[in-house]
Amino acid sequence: MTNHWIDLKNADVILVMGSNPASNHPISMKWIMRAREKGAKLVCVDPRFTQTAAKADLYAPLRSGTDIAFLGGMINYILEKDLYFKEYVVNYTNAAFLVNPDYKGPADLDGLFSGFNAEKKNYDKKSWSFQLEESGVAMKDPTLQDPNCVFQLLKKHYSRYTVEKVVDITGTPEDKLLAVYEIFGSTGKPDRVGTECYAMGWTQHTVGTQNIRAMTIIQVLLGNMGMAGGGINAMRGEANVQGSTDYGLLFHILPGYNPTPVASQPDLATYIDKNTPKTKEPRSVNWWSNRNKYITSYLKAIYGEAATKDNDFGYSWLPKIDVGQNASWLMIFDKMFKGDFEGFFAWGQNPACSGANSNKTRQAMTKLKWLVNVNLFDNETGSFWRGPGMNPKDIQTEVFMLPCCSSMEKQGSIANSGRMAQWRYKAVDPIGQSMPDAEIINELYFKVKELYKKEGGAYPDPIVNLSWEYGDCDAAGKVKHLDIPTVAKEINGTFLEDVYDKTATPPKLIGKKGDLVTSFPSLQADGSTSCGNWIYCNSYILKDGKEVNMMARRGKDDPTGLGLYPGWAWAWPVNRRIIYNRASVDPQGQPWDPKRPILKWDAEKKAWAGDVPDGPAPPMGTDGKFPFIMKPDGVASIFGPGLVEGPFPEHYEALECPVEVNAMSKQRINPTIKIFGDKMDAFFSCDARYPFVGTTYRVSEHWQTGCMTRHCSWLLEMQPQNFVELSFELAKDLKLSNGETVIVSSGRGEVKAVALVSERFKPFKISNTTVHQVGLPWHFGWQFPEDGSGYDSANLLTPNVGDANTMIPESKAFMVNVRKA
Amino acid sequence: MAEMVRKSSVDEILNHWILAGSCILLMITGYAFLFHIDGIAAVFGGFNAMKTVHNWGGVVFCISLLYSMRHYLVDALEYDADDLQWFKVAGGYLSHKVRVPPMGKYNPGQKLYYLAVVGAGIAIAASGFGIWLLKDNNTVMLLSHLVHNVAFCVFVIAVPVHIYLGTLANPGTFQLMVSGTLPLADAKKRYPKWMKAAGKL
Amino acid sequence: MANDNSTNRKAILVTPEACIGCRACQVACKSWNQLPSISTKNNGTYQNPPDLASAAFNIIQYNEVPSQENPVRWLFVSRRCMHCEEAGCMTICPSGALYRTAEGAVAYDRDKCIGCKLCVTACPFDVPRYDADNKVTKCHLCTDRIVAGMLPACVKTCPTSALKFGDRDELISNAKKEGYTTIYGEKDLSGLGSIYAFKEEPKLYGMKENPAIPSSVVFWHTYLKPLSLIGLGGVVAAAAIHYLAIGPHKEKEEV
Repeated sequence: MTNHWIDLKNADVILVMGSNPASNHPISMKWIMRAREKGAKLVCVDPRFTQTAAKADLYAPLRSGTDIAFLGGMINYILEKDLYFKEYVVNYTNAAFLVNPDYKGPADLDGLFSGFNAEKKNYDKKSWSFQLEESGVAMKDPTLQDPNCVFQLLKKHYSRYTVEKVVDITGTPEDKLLAVYEIFGSTGKPDRVGTECYAMGWTQHTVGTQNIRAMTIIQVLLGNMGMAGGGINAMRGEANVQGSTDYGLLFHILPGYNPTPVASQPDLATYIDKNTPKTKEPRSVNWWSNRNKYITSYLKAIYGEAATKDNDFGYSWLPKIDVGQNASWLMIFDKMFKGDFEGFFAWGQNPACSGANSNKTRQAMTKLKWLVNVNLFDNETGSFWRGPGMNPKDIQTEVFMLPCCSSMEKQGSIANSGRMAQWRYKAVDPIGQSMPDAEIINELYFKVKELYKKEGGAYPDPIVNLSWEYGDCDAAGKVKHLDIPTVAKEINGTFLEDVYDKTATPPKLIGKKGDLVTSFPSLQADGSTSCGNWIYCNSYILKDGKEVNMMARRGKDDPTGLGLYPGWAWAWPVNRRIIYNRASVDPQGQPWDPKRPILKWDAEKKAWAGDVPDGPAPPMGTDGKFPFIMKPDGVASIFGPGLVEGPFPEHYEALECPVEVNAMSKQRINPTIKIFGDKMDAFFSCDARYPFVGTTYRVSEHWQTGCMTRHCSWLLEMQPQNFVELSFELAKDLKLSNGETVIVSSGRGEVKAVALVSERFKPFKISNTTVHQVGLPWHFGWQFPEDGSGYDSANLLTPNVGDANTMIPESKAFMVNVRKA
Repeated sequence: MAEMVRKSSVDEILNHWILAGSCILLMITGYAFLFHIDGIAAVFGGFNAMKTVHNWGGVVFCISLLYSMRHYLVDALEYDADDLQWFKVAGGYLSHKVRVPPMGKYNPGQKLYYLAVVGAGIAIAASGFGIWLLKDNNTVMLLSHLVHNVAFCVFVIAVPVHIYLGTLANPGTFQLMVSGTLPLADAKKRYPKWMKAAGKL
Repeated sequence: MANDNSTNRKAILVTPEACIGCRACQVACKSWNQLPSISTKNNGTYQNPPDLASAAFNIIQYNEVPSQENPVRWLFVSRRCMHCEEAGCMTICPSGALYRTAEGAVAYDRDKCIGCKLCVTACPFDVPRYDADNKVTKCHLCTDRIVAGMLPACVKTCPTSALKFGDRDELISNAKKEGYTTIYGEKDLSGLGSIYAFKEEPKLYGMKENPAIPSSVVFWHTYLKPLSLIGLGGVVAAAAIHYLAIGPHKEKEEV
C-alpha cells in the first residue's frame, strides 16, 4: 500500500478491482464503509458478483484477464474528456519528458514495442529512453504538445482503447464501463480523491505487473498519488506478507529492497555502481543514491566484526545469482521436477496445494532425496508421498516434520499492508514440541556451523562468519534462545563507532558508538554503522537514554483527523504513513485538497506539518526537490521503461484464453513470458475440451491452502467443501443443478467441487460469442478433512506460467471444463 | 353388630386412591410448571426431576383412569327421572329442606363428575403424551399444550368440588371410600334404589 | 442525564446494509460460547450451517433477490434470537428456564430446562434449539459478557458495525438519524431486543412480517392460566361458603 488501511476512509471513490475486500480483507471494509457513509462511491469491477460487489454503488463485470483493456479504456477516457489533473501531471510526472524518436509502440508495431527480439523473447530497451539535454537532464515540453513527449505517446497508445473495443474484449456492458470511467475520472479534480484496492486478482496474470502499472498511470494522471484517500493499495493476503517482502523473502532482493548480487558483480564497488541509479537532475533526491550506505550497513549487521573494509565487508560471502537467472517459485519447482535438487525446506508453506499446476509440484517433490516440512500441521506437502496417484513404494524422498508454533506463541513484529510494523507479544507457550521458527533456525544454524567447523566443506565462510549475537550462549558457544528484541535492534542498526557529520565544521557528532541508529540518513558506507534492514531503521530508537521499541507503541492520538495515528506502532519509512506525500501539495507546499491536508509547508517555520514528509526539503516551487524521491528523475513514471513488456501497459490475452485473436493486435499473448516445455506444463487456448474461463479466489473462512483453517472445525463448518461457482446459463447448458458435485478439469488436472449455481456469474459477450466463466476457491486439499470430503486443491487446474516480470503464476485466468461427477 | 354392605370392592378403593393420588400429584406439579413455583419444584429436586414425576405420574393416572372405567363407566351412563329431579333440587346441597329423590348407587352429580374426569382425563393424558413424545411436530405440540391446559382447568375445578363433597360436605363418605363398606341401615337410607335392586330393601 | 425516560433495555442493532457477509460474528459466537462444530456439507450456497442450530446461535443468511441494476442483489442478514419483549418462549416455558435479564435479554438457565421444547413452538422466529443434552440453547445476548461491561462477542468482532450493541432507545434514534426509515422490531411483540435497520421493506431481506406469538399460546396465557387459579380459588371459596352457610349433608331421621 502506498497509503494504509485507515486511509481508505478518506477516499471519494474506491475502485475495487482485482480484489474482494469484503471477503478477503474484511477489516478494510470497515474503512471503505466509513468512506461510503460520508458519501464516497464504492466501485467494484470483477468477473464475479462478489460480496464487495454486493456492497458497491456500482458493479461492472469483466472477463478475467482483461484488466489492461479496461484500464486502458479509462486512460483514453480521461485523456479524451480532459479529466486529468494538469498541474500535477506536468510537475510531478514524466508526462512532459521527450522520448527517443526511435521509440515505437504497439500502435506502430501491431502489439509490440520497438526493440523486440523474437528469438530471445525480450526487448532491447535502448529506444525506450528519454532525449537528454546537454546537462544530461531529460528534455521536456511542459506544454505537453511535442509528439515525442510522454503525454502524446500515451495518448497515441491508448487512443486505440476505444469503448467499443474495450467492451468487445472485456465483455463489460458499455453503460457500466462508462459509468466506472465517469466516476473514477471525476477524481482528477484537486479536491476529489480516488483510491484503488487490488490483490491477487491483478497480480496473478501473465500481465500482472502491467495491470498495476496501468492503474498507477491513471492515479498519477488524476493526481491521486500521495494524497490522503488516494494511492494504489496492494491488499496483502497475509498479515505479514509485506514484512516478508521487506525482509528479502524473494530471490531477487535482500532485506530493504537491495538487489541480490549477481555473479557479474564480483566486488562491492561493482555491486554499488550497478545498483545505484544516477541522475543529472539537480532537484531529484534520487534516494537510491544511498545504496552504498544501506548495503554496507547490511553487511556489517550480518557479518559483524568479520566484515571489514579489507574484505569488502564480506560482500563475497553473499550468495550470487547467475546473470539473467530467475530463481522464483515456478523456476525452483521446474528445476526440482527435473531432479536438480536434493533437498527442500518447505517452511511455512504448502506447495502441494498452493503451487500453480500442483500436480507438477507434487511430482517434483518425488524427485527429492529429502524434504523438511516446517509447519503447524502436517499437510499435503509433508504427506505428498501418500497423496492421490502416488505410490509410496516408488518414492524415496525422506520427509522430516518440524512442528513450528503459531504467531500467538511467540513475540515479534509483523508488517501489515500499510507498511506498519506492529509488535506482538507471546500470548501462550508453544504446544508440545513445536518451536518458534527463529528457534528452529537457531538450532539449524549452530548445527550447520558445527559441521562446517568440523568437516570444512566447500565454502564455510558465509556460515561461520555470520554474526549471531542474539542471546546468552551455552558452554559450547551456542545461543540458547534467541532474544527477539535483540534481533529487532540489529535490524534497526547500531553505531559501531562514534560517527560524525564531517560536512559540518567542526564535525558534529551524529551518534555514539554502541547506540541505536536514529534513522537511515545516519547510516554510513564506511562500516561505522550496522543496519539489518535500512527501511526499518528508526523502528527501535534511543529516547532520553532509553531504548524504545517504536513498533510496540500504542498511542491513540490522531492529530490530523485523517487517521494517521502516528503514535500507533511504527510504519516504514521513518513512520511515514502515506508515501509520496509530497505529491499531495502544490509546488508552493500547499495541499491540493485543503479538506484533507496530509502535509502542509509552513513558510515561516520553514517546516512541514502533518505526516512525516518524503524528505525535509522545502516545496518544489521554492527551490525544493521533486516529490517522488525514490525515482531517479524525482517524478512519477507514466512512461516506465523498467518493466520487460514495454513502457506502457498493453492488453494481451492470458496464456490460456477463450479468444483466437487479441482484438487489440496480432500479438495474442504477452510476448515476453517464459513458457515451460514439459508435457506437464500443458496449456490449451480456444480448445473445445476446455471451453470455459476459470479463475481462483479465496473465501473469508479459509486462508491460503487451508492448512491452518481446515483444521479449525468452526471454519470448516462454514466452508466445508471445494466449490465451483457458475451461471444459471452454463448450468442449464451442462444440465447441472445447484449443490451437485461436479468435476472441473483443465489441461493439467482435475478436481471435484460442489456446483454453486447463481446469478453471481453471468456469461460474457465477447466479439459476438458467449464466453462462460467459472470460479473456485483454492483452500482445499486431499489430506484434511481426512475423509476427503473437502476435495482437492483448485491449483491442480492452474497453469504454471508466470508474469513476465515477477513470475507470479497466472492462476486468475485459465481454461477449464466442467462435467458431472 | 350391625349388618354391613360392601359398596366398593378392594380393588376399586385401591384404584380410586391411586387415581386420586396421581391426579393430585399431577395437579400440584402442573401448577408448579404453570407458575414456575420453585418451592414445589424443590420438593422433587428441581424442575427436571419434577418433569419425570409429572410424566410418569401421568402414566399411572392414565392406567388408573382406564381401570376405573370397569367400576364406574356403566353406572355413569345410566340416568332416570329421579336423576333429573335430583338436578332440580341441586342434590339437596343448597337447602336441607328440599326433598331429594331416592338415589341408586351413585347420584347423577357423581356420574357426571366421573364422565368429566374421564373426558378431561383422556384429553389431558393424550395431550400430555403429545407434549412428551411428539416434540418435533409444532402443530401437535401447540394443540396438545392448549388441550392439556383446558383439561387442567376442568380438573382444578372439578376435583376440589369432588373432594369437598366427598369429605366435609358429606360426613362419612370419606370413611366409606376407605373401608368400602357401610351399615345396611345407612345404605338403605342413602342408596334405596341400589338396595332395592340388590333385593335388600 | 441525557435521557431520563430511557429504560435500561439493551439491544443489538443489525444493519444488513452494512453487513459484508464475512461471518466473523458466527465464529466469534462459537468461540465465546465454546460451541462444538457442526459437520456440514456445501448445499449450493455460502450459507452454512443452513439454519440456526444448537451449536449455531447466529448465522448469516445469504439471500439473493432480483435486481434491476445488477445481475442479482446479494443480501447478508444476521439471524439470531430476537429477544422479544413479549417473548413466546418465556411465556410458555414451564420451568422458568427462559428468563429476562436486567438488560432485557431473553436468557436461559440450562439447569432449569426440562427439555420440553414448548419454547420452540411458541417462538415466532423459530429460534430455540436443543443441544445433545436436550437443553435449550440460543443467543443470550452474551449475558455473561455484557454484565462484565463487554460487548457481545458478535458485535465486538463485526468489522463494519453491521452489528451494534447499546441502549435500545439510543440505537433506534441513531439509526433513524442515519436515514434508516424502518426499524424492524421497534414495536413488534412490544419491541424486539434484536432490531434491524432498513431503508427498504424488511420483507426484501427475508424478515417475517407481523411476527406474533401463536394465538393458542396467547389464549392460554390470557385466559386459561388465570382460569386455572380462579377456578381453584373459586371452588375453595364456594365450598367454604357452602360449608358455613348451608352446612354439610345431614342424615334425616326417619319420621
